Amino acid sequence: MSTLQERLKAQPGALVECDDDPEAVFDLLCEKGWSDGLPVIPPTPERIERMLAFCDRDPDQAVIKIPPRFGAATPVRIAANAVMAGCKPEYFPLVLLALEALAEEQYNLYGTQATTHPCTPILIFNGPAVQEIGMNSGQNVMGNYYRANAVIGRAVRLALVNIGAAIPGTGDMATAGTPAKFTFCVAENEARSPWEPLHVELGHPKEATAVTVIAAEGPHNVNDHESLSAVGILTMIAGTMAITGSNNPYYASQPVLALGPEHAATIANDGFSKADVKQWLFEHATLPLSRFSQETIERRFRRKLAEQFADAPLNTPVRMFAKPEDLLVIVTGGAGKHSQYMPTFGNTRAATRALRHADGTLAKSVFDFKRP
Amino acid sequence: MAQLTKRGLIAAVVCSDTFMKLGTAQAKVFGVPDLPLLEIPHPLGGLGIEKVAQRAEIALPQLINAIKAVKKKSGATPA
Repeated sequence: MSTLQERLKAQPGALVECDDDPEAVFDLLCEKGWSDGLPVIPPTPERIERMLAFCDRDPDQAVIKIPPRFGAATPVRIAANAVMAGCKPEYFPLVLLALEALAEEQYNLYGTQATTHPCTPILIFNGPAVQEIGMNSGQNVMGNYYRANAVIGRAVRLALVNIGAAIPGTGDMATAGTPAKFTFCVAENEARSPWEPLHVELGHPKEATAVTVIAAEGPHNVNDHESLSAVGILTMIAGTMAITGSNNPYYASQPVLALGPEHAATIANDGFSKADVKQWLFEHATLPLSRFSQETIERRFRRKLAEQFADAPLNTPVRMFAKPEDLLVIVTGGAGKHSQYMPTFGNTRAATRALRHADGTLAKSVFDFKRP
Repeated sequence: MAQLTKRGLIAAVVCSDTFMKLGTAQAKVFGVPDLPLLEIPHPLGGLGIEKVAQRAEIALPQLINAIKAVKKKSGATPA
C-alpha cells in the first residue's frame, strides 16, 4: 500500500472503492458529480503520487481556496484532478501554476465562477516549457488533438468544478456557458511572432515559463483573406471587436486578441509595434452609442456610466477597452488568414505568473521538479 | 452581508428563486447559515419599474419577518 493510500484511508470519504472496469469507474464518478461529463482516468493513489513526484510544495497545504465552495485546493486534490484529466506527471507544475494565477485577486475567480456570463479561464503559456512538453502553439491551437493543451486546461476546469463546486445550477450559474469550459489552453507562437512574447511584455524574463490567465469567452473568428496592409487587417479586426453584446464596453476590461501569425506578419511589416496595434484598435474598435438599444442607453450608459455618458450625444464612440494598453495581444496559431478575438467577463484582469520552485527561483524546466 | 451579520447588524439578501441554492450554499460557506434570503421570482435584472415594485412587495414582508425573528432570538433592538 502506498504512503498516500495510507494517509487517505485515515480520512473518511477520501478513498472510494469500485469495480476497476472503466465504464463502472466513469459511472461512479458521474454519479458523484466528479467529472466534466467526459470519461476520466481513475485517480488512484498510485497515479496521484506519480503526479506529486513533480511537485515541490507541501502536498496538504492549499495553494488556493476555490470559490464558490472555497474548497482547499491542496496539491493532493489538484493532482487527483490532473490524473482525471489525463495529465502526464510533468504537466503537473503547469496545472499548479495556472491555479496559482487564478488565485490572484484581480482575476476575480469568485465572480467568474458563479456568473451567468459564459466565461472561463483562458490559459496562455509562454516560455521553454511549451516546447518541452509539446504544447501546441500552431495549427488548430484553440481546437482539439494536442494532449498538453487539452488536458492541462481540462485539469484546471475539473479542479474548479470538483474542488470549487462550480456545478451548473448551484455554483456555476452560466446561462448557457461555453464549450471552452471543457478546456481553453493555448501557447503563444513565439517563433512566429514579430513582437516580444506576452510574458516579457508583462515584466517576466524571456527564459521564464509563464502563464497568463483571464476570464474569457470562447474565440470569435476574424477572417481576412483580402487585406494586404496593417490598416486593412486591423479594420477587419476592429469590426469584429466592436459588438454590442459583450461585457467589455461596460468595464475597464482587458479583451484578448490572438493574431494569427500571417496577420501579425502583415501588420508588423507595415511598421506597427504591438503598442501601435493596441492604440489603433483603441481608437477604431468603437461603436456609436446609437447602436445600443434605447433601454441599454438609458439604463446602463446614462445612469450607471453617467460620468461618461449622462449627456453624451448618440454619435459618441463607445470603446471596447478603457486604455490602449488594456488590450492583450498574442500571436498564436498556424498558417492561414484568421485571427481570434476573445471578449472577457469584463470585471476580470489578467494575472501572469512565472514558474518557480518553492524557494522562489525560476524553474528552467518542468523536469527540474521531478524528485529522485 | 455575511460580514454585516457577523458584526451584529441585521442583514438579508434579496435572492431570485433560481439562485436560492447558490445563496443558501454561500451563506453556509461564509459562516452565516441563518442569513435571511428574501426569495423573489426570477429574474431580478432587466425589469421595468412595475415588476421591480412587484418584487419589492414580495420581499418586504420577508424582510420584516427576518427582522422580527432576529429581534426575538437576540432580545436586542436591531441596529
